[in-house]
Amino acid sequence: MTALAPAPSRPTPATPGHTPPVAAFTAFPDLTRFVLRRNWLRLAIWVIVLVGMVAMVYESQRVAFPTQESRDAYAAVANTPAVAALTGLPYGAGTLGGILNIKIWMTLAVSIGFASIFLLTRNGRAEEENGRTELIRAGAVGHHAYSLANQLVVGGLSVAIGLLIGLTCIGLGLPAEGSLAMGASIAGVGIAFLGIAALAGQLTSTSRAANSLASIVLGVSYLVRAIADVQAEGDTPSPLSWASPIGWAQNMRSFGENVWWPLLLLVGLGIGGCLVAGVIESRRDVGAGVLPDRPGPARATGSLASVLGLAVRLERGPMIGWLLGGLAGGLFYGGVASAMSDLLDSGNAYAKAFMGQADSVLDGIVGLFVMATAMVAAAFAVQSATSVRLEEASGRLEPQLAGAVSRTRWALTHYLVAAGWGIVILVASGLVFGLAFAASQSDPDQVPRILAASTAYIPSLLVLVGVTVLLTGWLPHQAILVSWIVYGASVIIAMFGPLFSLPDEVIDATPLAATPRVPGVELQAMPLVVLSLVALAFWALGLLRFRARDLTQA
Amino acid sequence: MNAASTPAIEVAGLVKRFGAVTALDGLDLRVEQGQVMGFLGPNGSGKSTTIRILLGIARADAGAARLLGGDPWREAVELHRRIAYVPGDVNLWPNLTGGQAIDILSRLRGGVDRTRRDELVERFDLDPGKKARTYSKGNRQKVALVAALASDAELLILDEPTSGLDPLMEGVFTDVVRELAHQGRSVLLSSHIFAEVEKLCDSVTIIRAGRTVEAGTLADLRHLHRTSVSVVLPGGAGTLARRADLHDLAVDGERVSFTVDDAELGGVLADLAARSPRSLVSTPPSLEELFLRHYGVELPATDDAAGAAVASKASAS
Ligand SMILES: Nc1ncnc2c1ncn2[C@@H]1O[C@H](COP(=O)(O)OP(=O)(O)O)[C@@H](O)[C@H]1O
Ligand SMILES: [Mg+2]
Repeated sequence: MTALAPAPSRPTPATPGHTPPVAAFTAFPDLTRFVLRRNWLRLAIWVIVLVGMVAMVYESQRVAFPTQESRDAYAAVANTPAVAALTGLPYGAGTLGGILNIKIWMTLAVSIGFASIFLLTRNGRAEEENGRTELIRAGAVGHHAYSLANQLVVGGLSVAIGLLIGLTCIGLGLPAEGSLAMGASIAGVGIAFLGIAALAGQLTSTSRAANSLASIVLGVSYLVRAIADVQAEGDTPSPLSWASPIGWAQNMRSFGENVWWPLLLLVGLGIGGCLVAGVIESRRDVGAGVLPDRPGPARATGSLASVLGLAVRLERGPMIGWLLGGLAGGLFYGGVASAMSDLLDSGNAYAKAFMGQADSVLDGIVGLFVMATAMVAAAFAVQSATSVRLEEASGRLEPQLAGAVSRTRWALTHYLVAAGWGIVILVASGLVFGLAFAASQSDPDQVPRILAASTAYIPSLLVLVGVTVLLTGWLPHQAILVSWIVYGASVIIAMFGPLFSLPDEVIDATPLAATPRVPGVELQAMPLVVLSLVALAFWALGLLRFRARDLTQA
Repeated sequence: MNAASTPAIEVAGLVKRFGAVTALDGLDLRVEQGQVMGFLGPNGSGKSTTIRILLGIARADAGAARLLGGDPWREAVELHRRIAYVPGDVNLWPNLTGGQAIDILSRLRGGVDRTRRDELVERFDLDPGKKARTYSKGNRQKVALVAALASDAELLILDEPTSGLDPLMEGVFTDVVRELAHQGRSVLLSSHIFAEVEKLCDSVTIIRAGRTVEAGTLADLRHLHRTSVSVVLPGGAGTLARRADLHDLAVDGERVSFTVDDAELGGVLADLAARSPRSLVSTPPSLEELFLRHYGVELPATDDAAGAAVASKASAS
């Protein structure tokens, strides 16, 4: 009774075949235009922010070091382990170009790395995850055309930013070769992480996992080069520097010796990553990752079937990942701070200026490092808080609320998980930092001091989460993007505010900079009280609006 | 090559595994040029997976698949110019309008026929100037339908295309597909709506757990199966109950209903004629019955079912 289809006359086994090279890229120009149209605003923002930062920092440094004597004086003291660890091994500090490098290069490199990762994933794995790639690929579109369009646009962003940075520096009167080397080294980092993001997008099957995987590679690259820079001999980094793509770009030494060949490594990693990604892509199904989805339990346990249980389960991976990241950071800073305590001369005028109003330079550095761990904790908290909007935008929230759950309780639970676990990360990394530092100094009193310094950032963290709460309530469609812009601006202003010649009132009005940098300065109650009140207001206003407004999907 | 004799779709022994899950387990499917083929199967039976392999966006582990005579993976680009696809769950770019999405999808196939597009936008009552994020599921579905149906594709691959459409729009969809079928286009229509398949398709392939369990024209399939008969006999069932070739016999006074294998129908009708029935309705099995029989569910031969089937008999014969 079963009528089978007759065997085809020329059966073709379904083994991986080879797409003719040209057909693999059919519709590439249309798709490139399409990717540009969907992303032009984001691309423009990255260009303006990164290139603008160079011009602003240059101007402030020109004012700060107007004479050659002032620059020579700075050069004599610039090479401290703290600077080396955070922003890269200083060299050529006697020139304005060298100073510009010290102040802004690392920030640009890390930012452009993130730009590549987030943009490539947004147009790549994220589109595949929500099924739109399937719609595109059902057209007369080559297997690789869409991926190549995406890679070309994101790679183009790096090239454009690098070129504009180079031209800006030349325009500001800096030496041409150094200017171009600086632009090229930044562009190189962007291209290298484009390759890494392309690979991450093939290995994982969700955009979140792709972003996390590539960001972890970026974080490890940063740490590896930080260790290499701290272990430098004079102004030559340890060979370990070559184990990190960021290290490769640093070794181009723009405004120093201007070494060009590491650019080949960076571009090679970018192109190599994209090629391997292309090979994987031609062997797998649209929508799938390399690893198949594993089956899970057929039933939800009692705790999972509650608002809190579900919120924790959905965030479980990031919660563990960010905690480990925070602990590693604490340990690392503890080690660096100890290494520095022997080297530091508290009469070092520049270091003093860089470290704020701290009496002891070492305390100032400890305060800076504590702030860095607070940034990690806050990054988790903000990411986790945006899950409220993500659940709403994806339409997954509606069926949950159709159950007997109040909107306010549902949202508050998610926000509390975000803030609560952010505080756990903050305190745990402060504790590890304190223990590592105390052990090396044989001074147990360091533990409570550093722990107190960490704890002081709790109100800041609540304000940053509060920004997301407020935006999710009032500006749902822009909430996630603007949350990250506010976070990024807070981080940059807290780290570099004085470099941009911003007035103190402005700097102190941002959440991270507002917290007193204990132990370098005294712990005052006033800023913490103000921050707490602001946080309370943001949370309350955001939740009230979230309760009152319509739910809207993406 | 001889285009007329090349089947539109030719799939044999297709196997697809996802880790430990075997989604397709030797599936066969054949759609001739100009044929409108219903592709039926319960949820998770492998319809979408088959379609994704035919579209060259997923890869089979074993077996053969040919689309319009070509290799779905290697010749994806040329083949996709000749086909159009509508997924069951359409996701659009939230900040583009429906009209923009239609044009983008059409262009990626190889061009838009503006008049045809506008005509379909009109018929489906779609507002193409709205951002996709404001569309309901049905409206998103219409966007993909307009893009596909406005094309000059030789073969339409439609994966549960009417999910989310209201009955009025389902009617429009049926009309448009009929028109395209008259023009000689081939259609693969995956569905679980029997009425839709019975209205549109000349053939069906029924699959279950990744295997083909039944394939053929609707008429053939009906022929292989039992006809339901509902009859009013003044003398009641009498000795009829002893006949071994009647199934599902139900007697309610003068009203007698049963099903009978088509091969035995002649003998049974002769017997009935001798009992001078006052009325007789015989109904070919509905697709729904065929389908459910494969999944172990027998429909009771009630008067309701028979009554409802009269109409379908009229339209089928
Ligand atoms: N990406 C995937 N990973 C794992 N299993 C899958 C995947 N896609 C489909 N399946 C499984 O394959 C089977 C067939 O699915 P599908 O083709 O979507 O069915 P249908 O379209 O007939 O409802 C189901 O059991 C489904 O769970
Ligand atoms: Mg399906």
